[in-house]
Amino acid sequence: MVHATTIVTPARFVQGLSYSDFLAQATINHDKFNESYQSVPLTEGDLAFFRKAAALPQGPKKILALAEAWCGDVYRELPTVARIAEATSADLRIFLRDQNPDIMDEFLSNNGKSRAIPVFAFYTADLQQITHFTERSASAHAGLTSAMDEVRAQLKLPETATFGTLVDPERTAFLREVIARIQPHSTQWRKDAIAEIRESLATAVGIPNAS
Amino acid sequence: MPAETGTASPIVYTIRGCDACMKLLRKWDAEQVIYEERRVELSQTVLDEARRLGQLVPIVVWPDGRVEQGFGDTIGCFI
Repeated sequence: MVHATTIVTPARFVQGLSYSDFLAQATINHDKFNESYQSVPLTEGDLAFFRKAAALPQGPKKILALAEAWCGDVYRELPTVARIAEATSADLRIFLRDQNPDIMDEFLSNNGKSRAIPVFAFYTADLQQITHFTERSASAHAGLTSAMDEVRAQLKLPETATFGTLVDPERTAFLREVIARIQPHSTQWRKDAIAEIRESLATAVGIPNAS
Repeated sequence: MPAETGTASPIVYTIRGCDACMKLLRKWDAEQVIYEERRVELSQTVLDEARRLGQLVPIVVWPDGRVEQGFGDTIGCFI
């Protein structure tokens, strides 16, 4: 299914930064972006799928990303989409979230309450929105929830305890233990993000999710 | 181990796009707290400095060396 676009006109779209221009303007995290770019977990099967989808008349030819270089989810996921754009010759344009609040408003998450990034919106050649992906995979969200449950049990904290309700030293211990649990899953969650984007695109353009 | 500040005011490491950071700064401004803000999104050196102290902004280094991460009921932003 193809959705009509609003704020993102052709004239606005071309104002977005290329990936190299985005990196050039970033003052921080060049090492993180480079590390993620070098370790993108795209398989040949993934690339074949994205090429097939892009070759369709109403397939994804343009990709809009909302990003900020300081965001961990951005430096983990944006290089993946840069690689997809390279492999499919799609035009990737990156908009800084805090300088483009009107575009961000089109992609709010958490029932309109969150300005979560990255956002990757896929468009046809004539800028009809096909689908979009926000922030991180569902498995990453679930993994974070699960890690917090485990840490509450380990530290014998109430089931209702959250980072915000705790005070130090429990607050710091809670954070340390949650991070220790989620870090080993980073690569798998990046693979899951690719799988989610594939599934979403396959459904939207009406092709099997196969290579 | 407590961090060294060498000042009488708290130092706060922030990202201006981080809701928790902005909530803390608004609270301190309303209370007329004097602080030194170090914006990690503007400098790799400042970001590296913040990463040695914690993984979540805002990071506050109090004059007595205590370090706190995050603010209120908002988890903050990982750096």
